[in-house]
Amino acid sequence: MVSGKHKSKTYRKVRVKTPGGRVTIHYRKRKPGKAKCGNCGKPLAGTIRERPYKIQNTPKTKKRPERPYGGVLCSKCTRELIKSKARK
Amino acid sequence: MTIETGRLCVKIAGRDAGKKCVILHVIDKNYVLIDGETRRRKCNIMHLEPLPKKIEIKENADHSEVVAMFKKLGIELLERKPREKKERPTKVRKIKKKEATEERKKKEKPKKSKKEH
Repeated sequence: MVSGKHKSKTYRKVRVKTPGGRVTIHYRKRKPGKAKCGNCGKPLAGTIRERPYKIQNTPKTKKRPERPYGGVLCSKCTRELIKSKARK
Repeated sequence: MTIETGRLCVKIAGRDAGKKCVILHVIDKNYVLIDGETRRRKCNIMHLEPLPKKIEIKENADHSEVVAMFKKLGIELLERKPREKKERPTKVRKIKKKEATEERKKKEKPKKSKKEH
């Protein structure tokens, strides 16, 4: 019988083949939402979408684009921000 | 603000975004050669925001000249050292050990055949 917490949709189901050849269902936590641009709300490219324990061990260069405001603003918004700063 | 040699620009895209540079050479209608706070490199015009200021500088000027011109503007550039070439450690094959293992195998095989009998 499935325990109560596994009945809800907070967990995702993963089918795993055991060494005995049986297919069982394992329950894992869901991934967090995509990182979004702070200005326009577009999903950011080049950012990692994982649980914090997996992000912890990934190198910094794989977490965000190597550009000012990388991982915070999208490329389009950074261009416009830098342009507006230069024109002042 | 036209794009020509000596025009000050701000780079918009890439890891040098937000840094100032000078156009040194107009390669064609799309690309220019730039140097300054950014790395010395070919650059798309779409990735540059031209500024009203213009510097008198020769076409394809050296990096040292660019550094001097930027010093006049009040921008000090960081020194870039060219990477020293290091000798990579080469893997040395251990041939003697391999031979030894092969010899052992040869010795072991006849023993097994004896056991089968």
